[in-house]
Amino acid sequence: MSSAARPRTTPHRSRRVLGAAVATVVLSAGCGLSGATPEEGSADDPIVIGMSLPLSGPAADRAKPGMAGYQYWVDEVNANGGLLGRQVELKVLDDGFDQQTAISDYNRLISQDKVDLLLGTFSSDLNLAVAPVAERFKYLYIQPSGGADEIFARDFKYLFFAQPATTQRLPNQFVELIERLPAATRPKTVALVQQDDPNTTQAAEIFEKRLGELGVTTVYDQTYAPDTSNFDTIANAVKQADPDVVISGAVTSDGVGIVRSLQKVGFSPEMFYQENAPTSPTYAQAIGAANTEGIFTPIAYSTETDLAGNKDFVAGYTKKNGAPPDEDAANSYTAGQVLAATVKAVGKLDQAAMAKWLHENTVATIVGPLSWDAAGRPQGELLLAQYQSGTLKVVAPDAAANADVLHPKPGWRP
Amino acid sequence: MTAARARRAVIAGLILLVALVPVFTPDTYIHNLLILTFVVAVTASGWNIVGGFTGYVSLGHGAFIGVGGYTGGVLAAHWDVSPFLVAPLGGLAAALVALLLGLATRKTRGAAFVIVSYAMLELLGLVTRNWSGVTGGSQGFLMPLPSWDVRFQNWPFYYALFVLVLLSIGMTVAIRRSKLGLGLMAIRDDEDKAAGVGVRTAVYKSIAFMAGAVLVGVAGTVYGYYVSTLSVGTMFDIVLSMQVVLAALVGGRGTVWGPVLGAFLVVSLSELTNTTLGGTDAGAFRLIMFGGLLLVVVLLLPKGILPTVGNLLEHRRRGDTASPTGTRLEDTPLPPAPARSGTAPSTSDLLRVTDLTMRFGGVTALDQVTMAVPRGSITALIGPNGSGKTTVFNAIDGTYAVTSGSVTLAGRPITGLGRAQRAHAGVGRSHQLPRLFDSLTVVENVAVATGEFRLAGLVRSAVSGAEAARAAELLEFVGMGAYLQARAGDLSYGQRKLVELAQLLMLDPDVILLDEPAAGINPTLRARLTALIRALNDSGRTFVIIEHDMHFVLSLADRAVVLARGRVLADGEPDEVRADPAVLEAYLGADLAVGADR
Amino acid sequence: MATVTLLLQTLILGLLAGGVYALMSSGFTLVFGVMKVINLAHGAMIVLAAFLTWWVWDRTGLDPLLVGIFLSPVMGAIGWLLYKTVIARVQRADWELTLVASFGVAVAAGGVMALVWGAEGHAATPSYFTTSFELGPLVVPQAQLYACVGAVAMLAALHALLRGTFLGRAIRASAANRDSAALVGITVERTMAAMFAIGAATTGFAGAALSVLYQFVPDSHYRWIGLILCVVILGGLGSFLGAGLGAGILGVSEALTSSYVDARWATAVPYVLIIVVLLVRPQGLLGGRVRADGVPA
Repeated sequence: MSSAARPRTTPHRSRRVLGAAVATVVLSAGCGLSGATPEEGSADDPIVIGMSLPLSGPAADRAKPGMAGYQYWVDEVNANGGLLGRQVELKVLDDGFDQQTAISDYNRLISQDKVDLLLGTFSSDLNLAVAPVAERFKYLYIQPSGGADEIFARDFKYLFFAQPATTQRLPNQFVELIERLPAATRPKTVALVQQDDPNTTQAAEIFEKRLGELGVTTVYDQTYAPDTSNFDTIANAVKQADPDVVISGAVTSDGVGIVRSLQKVGFSPEMFYQENAPTSPTYAQAIGAANTEGIFTPIAYSTETDLAGNKDFVAGYTKKNGAPPDEDAANSYTAGQVLAATVKAVGKLDQAAMAKWLHENTVATIVGPLSWDAAGRPQGELLLAQYQSGTLKVVAPDAAANADVLHPKPGWRP
Repeated sequence: MTAARARRAVIAGLILLVALVPVFTPDTYIHNLLILTFVVAVTASGWNIVGGFTGYVSLGHGAFIGVGGYTGGVLAAHWDVSPFLVAPLGGLAAALVALLLGLATRKTRGAAFVIVSYAMLELLGLVTRNWSGVTGGSQGFLMPLPSWDVRFQNWPFYYALFVLVLLSIGMTVAIRRSKLGLGLMAIRDDEDKAAGVGVRTAVYKSIAFMAGAVLVGVAGTVYGYYVSTLSVGTMFDIVLSMQVVLAALVGGRGTVWGPVLGAFLVVSLSELTNTTLGGTDAGAFRLIMFGGLLLVVVLLLPKGILPTVGNLLEHRRRGDTASPTGTRLEDTPLPPAPARSGTAPSTSDLLRVTDLTMRFGGVTALDQVTMAVPRGSITALIGPNGSGKTTVFNAIDGTYAVTSGSVTLAGRPITGLGRAQRAHAGVGRSHQLPRLFDSLTVVENVAVATGEFRLAGLVRSAVSGAEAARAAELLEFVGMGAYLQARAGDLSYGQRKLVELAQLLMLDPDVILLDEPAAGINPTLRARLTALIRALNDSGRTFVIIEHDMHFVLSLADRAVVLARGRVLADGEPDEVRADPAVLEAYLGADLAVGADR
Repeated sequence: MATVTLLLQTLILGLLAGGVYALMSSGFTLVFGVMKVINLAHGAMIVLAAFLTWWVWDRTGLDPLLVGIFLSPVMGAIGWLLYKTVIARVQRADWELTLVASFGVAVAAGGVMALVWGAEGHAATPSYFTTSFELGPLVVPQAQLYACVGAVAMLAALHALLRGTFLGRAIRASAANRDSAALVGITVERTMAAMFAIGAATTGFAGAALSVLYQFVPDSHYRWIGLILCVVILGGLGSFLGAGLGAGILGVSEALTSSYVDARWATAVPYVLIIVVLLVRPQGLLGGRVRADGVPA
C-alpha cells in the first residue's frame, strides 16, 4: 500500500486467519446444532408431530390458547391408547410471528428432525409462507388458522384448513340474516371499517357487494393500517356518516380500539358486526362488559353445541386449564381431530394416502362435519354468534342456533 | 508456505466447503440456515460500506431487500420470466433508492441519519403495502413455484446467494484498497475536513450508498423467490435491519470479513434461542434470551470480534508500544521546499474578499469586510478574540455560506463553490485545532488530499507510488519523515500541526490560510515553522495567517489586516498597523506588548 | 355545517392525540436532546409502567392516573439502574452501540412482561375511560384530556428543571462538554444518571395514561418508537416547547390524513414528517443552530 519503511501486512493477516478459523468453528457448530438424526421409528417409538407457533410476538395471545388446544388433544389421544398404538409427542418451535423463522422451523422439523407428522401454525401470514414448504416435501399439512384466499390459490394437494369455511364464506350468515329481517327494520346504510389484512379486506369486499345487492348503501369504507392505535378520527367519520350497520373487520386489539372510540364519540349503530376481536377472553373487560350486548361476530366454534366430542372437550379442557376453550384452542383441537381421523383410516403414516383420504371423505369434528375441495378449502359454513347477557349465543344458521337475534343493538352504557 | 499463502489457503478451503454443502447433504434445514445466513451476510456487507467505511449508521438497510424483492417479483410476473433473470433490476432499483437516501446525508448525520434511515424503511414498507394494485398489498404477492426437480430445489437459491456473498466480499476488498475507500474513511473520520482537502464528498457518498445497496437488491429478488410469497412484513423487516447492524458490529465494522462472520454468528444465535426452549412460555424466554444476548455482545465486544482479536494479537506480537514520541527537535537545516507546479507569479491580487457579511441569527459576525491579498505575499490577519478572523477563513474556504459579499481567487469568483471545489481551485486551510483523519496513517492522511477530481481515478489504488513519494517528500519537509506509518490519532498536538501543513501542501494550493499556526507549540518548533513558511513563500506561495503571537506574525508578514467586532479596522504595513491608535484601542492596550521583544 | 363540525372535531381529536404523544415523548426528548442517546427501550418502559399501573388498579381499584404519578419514582429508579448497568458503559465505547443495546433491553423487557402478565391484551377501565365531555356537537374524550393536561405539566416541569435548577444547568453543561464540566466540579456520571432517571420517571404517568387509553400487550412498545422519534425530530433537539409543538403537529396531521385522505396513510405521517423536517430544517422547529466549525464531537 505504501512505499514507506514498515510493511503493514501482519495485523491483517492474523485477523483474517482468525476470522476464517472462527467461521469454521461456527459453521460446524451450526451443523452440530441440528442434533443427531433419529433412527427409523419402530412400533414402540412415539409418533412425533412437529409444529411452529408464534408463541412470542403480536399473535402470542392467539398462539398460546392454540397450543393449549393442541396439547389437550395429544393428552386425550394418548390417554385413549395413542395413534396406531403408539404414543404421540409434540415438537413445538416458536417462530415469533416471523415468516422466515417459520419457514426455517418447518424445514428443520421435516428435514432435520424428520418428524412423522405436521400440524399447522396460526395466522394467514405464516401459513401462507409455510404451506409451500410442506407441499414440496409432500407432508400432510392441516392448519387451524389461515383462512385467506391466497393460501388456497395454488391448488396444493397436501393442504387442509381445519375450520368450517374460508374467508370467502365468512359473510354469508350475516348477509342472510339481514335479508331475513322485515323491510321496516332492515338497515339501509352500512359502514365498513377494516384492518389492512388479507382476511378482513377480502371479507369487506364481499360484504359490500352482497349487501349492495340487497339495497344497503355503503356510506363509509375505510381500510386502516395494521399499526393504527388511535381510532378516534375513524370513529368520528363513521359517526358523521351515520350508518345503520357497522361492519368492523378487526384482527386483534384494533377491535377493542374501534369500539372504545365509538363510545367516546358517542355513536352506537343499530347493528354492529365485528370479526375476530369479540372472541378474545379480554374483550368484555376491555370495552365494558355491558357494552358487548348485541355485538355480532362470526365464529367457527361454540362451546354450546353437541357436535362430535364437543361436550367432553369443553368439560375436559375447562378442568385442565381452568377456563373454557376459546376459538383458537378449539381450532387446534379440530386440526388434531382431522389428523387423527385420517391416520386411523389409512392405518399407516403415508402422507399421500392420508391426503387422498381427506379429499374423499368427511370428518366429524367439534365444529361439525368437515370436507374439502381439491385445493384444501373446507365446504362448510361458519356460525354467526351474538353477545347476549355477556355470553356468545349462536343465532345462525338455524340448525345450530340456540338463541333468537337481538335487534336493534342497545346503546353504549358508560 | 508463507503466512499470506496459508491465509489464502484457509479461506479458499472454507469457500470450497460452503460451496459443496448442498452436494454433501440433502438436509434442507442446513440449506435454509445457510441461505438465511447468506442473505444477512450480503446485507451486512452492504451496510458495512455505508456504515463501516463511510460512517453512516443505517437502521433501515433491510429495506433494500424489500425493494429488490418486490421490484424483481413484480417485473418477473409482469413479463412472465424467471425472477432470476430480473434480479439485476432489483439491484438497480435498490441502488436508486440508496442514492436518494444518500442525498439525505447532505443535511443529516449521526443520530439524525439513523432516524431518517429508520423512517425510510417504514415508509417504503407502508408505500408497498398501500400500493396494493401492483404489489398485492397485505394479501401478499405470490411468486411462481419452482419448476425444477425437487431434489435440487434449493440449489439455485443457495448458489445464487452464495455468489452474491462472494461478490460482496470482493467489492468490499476493492473499495478498501481503492482511492474511493480512502476517501470514504476520511469522510467517516471528519467529513467537513475531507471536503476541505478536496474530497468530493457528495460523489463519494453517492457511490458508497449505491454500492452498499445494489447487491442487497439482487439478493432481495432471489430471497423473495425462495420464500415464495412476498409480504410486506417480511420484506421490510426491522428485525432484519437490526440483525444486519448487529452482525456488522459483532464481526467488526469496517473490516472485510467482519460482517460475514457476524452474519454466521447472528443467524446461529437466533436459531439457538429458537430451538432450545419448549412449552407455552417458550416465546417469552426466547425474547429474554435474544435481548440478553444483544446486551452481552454489545457490552463485552464493543469493537467487534475481528478488530478485538486483531488488536490482541498485535499487542502480543509487538509488546507494549509507546506512542510515537518525537525526537528532540533541533535546529537542523531545512530540506529544499517542494516544487510548485503552475503559473508563474504575477503582481496582481491573488485573493480578494469584497463586502463580506456574515450573520448568524441576530449576531453580525462580519460586517462588510473587504481585503485584498497580493500574490506571493504573507498577509497577517489579526484582531482581538471574537473579532471574526476564523469566520473570514470559514467564508473563504466554504465552511460557511456568506450572507452577502463575494470571494474571488485569481480573479475568479469562488463564492458559489463547495468546499471541495474551492480546495481544487486553490484554497488550502489549516485549523486552530489541527484536524486529521485519526484512523488513517500519516502518509494516508497526506495522500488523501487531492487537488483535482477524476471519477475514473476512484478505482485506482488508495495510495499510489507517485502519491506516496510526494507525500513522503512533503512530510520530510515539515519534519515528520520518520512517522509515515504512525496512526494519526496517536500523534501529539505539535506533530498534528505539522502533518496538517503537509496535508495542505499536498493540495498544491494557490493561497494557504493558516489559523493560529504558532499556538501551543514550543519555541524551537515555532522557529522551524517560521522558516518553513518563509521557504514556502520564497518558492512562490501566498499566505494568510491568523495569529495572536504578534512577534511571530508581524515579523513574517508583508502586510497586516486588523479585524475588530467583524469590521476591518486597519490594513497596511505591519509597522503602520502596530502604531495605529485605533488598533491599540481595540486590543485595550493591555494584551499587546507592542514592539517589545519576547 | 357538517363539514365544519367534522373539521373541528378532527382538530380536537388530533390535538388530544398530540397531547398523548407529547406525554410519551417528554422523557425521550430530555435524554435524546441532552445526550443524543436514542433509547429504544423507552417504549418498553412505558408499557412496563402500563402493566404496573394495571396491576395496582386491578387489585386496589385506585385511579390509574393517580397510580401513575406514584409510579414515577419507581420508573426513575429502573431508569437509573438501566443507565448504570448498560447505557453508561456502552456510551463510552461507541454511541451507535447504544442503539443495539437499548434495543436488546427492549426485547428482553418484552419477554419479561410476557412471562409475568401473559400475552393477552390488558386495559385499565376506570369510570372515565370512554366518556367524553360534550361541547355542542363536538366531543372531547375525557381520558385523553387528562393525559394532555399531564403532558403540559410534565413538559413545563422538565423545562423548568433544565433552565432553573442547578441540576438542570449541570445537565446542560455535561452534555455540551463533558470534560469541561468535570473540570468545573460537576460529577458528570451522577448528573447523567440523574437525567436518565428523570427521563425514565416520565414513563410512569405516560404508562398509566396508556393503560387507560388503549388495550395493550407486551409487544405494544414497537408502535410508539416511530411516533416518539417523530415528535423529537419535529420539535428540535432538547426543546420541550418544540416537542409539545411537534406532538401537536403530528397529532393533527395524522387526524387530518385519516379524515380527509385515507386512514391507510395516517400511519405514514410520522415518517414523512421525519424525512421532510430532517431535510428542510434539521434543527427542528425550535432547535438552535450551532457554530459549524468546531471540532466535531
